[in-house]
Amino acid sequence: MEELAKRDAMAKSRDPIILPSGGCSECGSNKLIKDHERAELICINCGLVIKERLMDMGPEWRAFDSEQKEKRARVGAPITYTLHDKGLSTLIDWRNTDSYGNDFTPRRRAQLYRLRKWQRRIRVADATERNLALALSELDRMSSHLSLPRNVKESAALLYRKAVEKRLIRGRSIEGVAAAALYAACRRYKVPRTLNEIAEVAHVTKGKKEIGRSYRFICRELKISIPPTNPITYIPRFTSELNLSGEVQAKAIQILKEAAKKGLTSGRGPTGVAAAALYIASVMLNERRTQIDVARVSKVTEVTVRNRYKELVQKLELDIPI
Amino acid sequence: MESAEPSITIQNVVASVDLGTKIDLILVSKQLEKAEYTPEQFPGVIVRLKEPKAAFLIFSTGKMVCTGGKSEEDVYEAVNTMVDMLNEIGVGITQEPQITIQNMVASASLGVEINLEVASFALDNVIYEPEQFPGVIYRMRDPKVVLLLFGSGKLVVAGAKEKEDVYLAVEKVNEELEAIGSLRTR
Repeated sequence: MEELAKRDAMAKSRDPIILPSGGCSECGSNKLIKDHERAELICINCGLVIKERLMDMGPEWRAFDSEQKEKRARVGAPITYTLHDKGLSTLIDWRNTDSYGNDFTPRRRAQLYRLRKWQRRIRVADATERNLALALSELDRMSSHLSLPRNVKESAALLYRKAVEKRLIRGRSIEGVAAAALYAACRRYKVPRTLNEIAEVAHVTKGKKEIGRSYRFICRELKISIPPTNPITYIPRFTSELNLSGEVQAKAIQILKEAAKKGLTSGRGPTGVAAAALYIASVMLNERRTQIDVARVSKVTEVTVRNRYKELVQKLELDIPI
Repeated sequence: MESAEPSITIQNVVASVDLGTKIDLILVSKQLEKAEYTPEQFPGVIVRLKEPKAAFLIFSTGKMVCTGGKSEEDVYEAVNTMVDMLNEIGVGITQEPQITIQNMVASASLGVEINLEVASFALDNVIYEPEQFPGVIYRMRDPKVVLLLFGSGKLVVAGAKEKEDVYLAVEKVNEELEAIGSLRTR
């Protein structure tokens, strides 16, 4: 109930922030919310308005297209962990004009050409930074291969930086730890990519084994606990890869929930279970895909699909028309 | 729920043995028919015994490793046989061999199924990666052993130094799993 009220309040205000500090003076709850439309600070628990006329920290100008935005903004792009200098570098402009728009003398132009060249050379200061740049470009390459969203990439870069800070890379390959960080970030954001898929795009000699080892190591050392992959997270992806309808997807998720309740997923590979559930759902709703097709998109063997399928049908007492 | 007494079988006992004298490995490899010795690959002589079934790695420093014994008694017996064999071919072992059990591996079954998801959340020091390995890896602090728990209710105990550790660990993990409600009769 409380959870629902909270979500409701979050949906209403434009940019809600739950403040952990302070607390409500009436009920003591520390679940406060900033309502930017009304400029008020409200307690979610009892509804008391704690502060009125909040300061708006946003820009004082408005922009309606990118051109206006470019003109009015006085700041650069936000910092990002995916670049070795967090995107905070100063660059010598490529234009050969001064701030008034006048052309430089040929001598000055030659000087700037040289300065630019040197800036490019010294941008990466030392070996540590060079390694970081290498790892981050590797992360970038892998995540674009796997078409991963930016938040995952950002999170992976942050994990990698933390690993560097704690000197966890020592004795491990840069590529391996980068791949492990990417895998961890995928798991964290519930964007399902299997270790196999990551190992395929990573330039790691010992492949899956090394990445898995590095993954466990950084998880332990950085004290992050990631719950085991839920087979349900794979369902949307497999559904669309098999061109199945939304009903099939819903049915498969329902089957998986049931299976999880009965403990049928414990100790089973999440991709295999997901594949079998999707296969059953497709058969039940007359949109049948062959086991071979299902196995291909989920990258498990047909035998696995068959075995998981038998288990699920038997234990859930499903009525399969064939 | 009163669960049946878990069945435990010790599968492997590894012990290190100090014989107290340097050993001429070439002599051993020539005299003993069963000896395997390829110095390029491994610096020790490998000898496999049939009765009791055990394998020995013999090093020139006079130390041996005995693996594959099914019990502590097996290991002692095997070491005695081995020492006799060495003495027969002229390796003078005068001291009583120093035997230290280094590792014991046992398999056990709780007789009930384990819900691994619940176990992986509720226990400390566990790894559960169904993508990579179907079991939960549980590093117990006291006794210091590693347990592999499987959904079927079977488990493997590794890293124990004594028989008592194995029994204690199985008993303890059974209690812990029952306390967090991750056990279920088939």
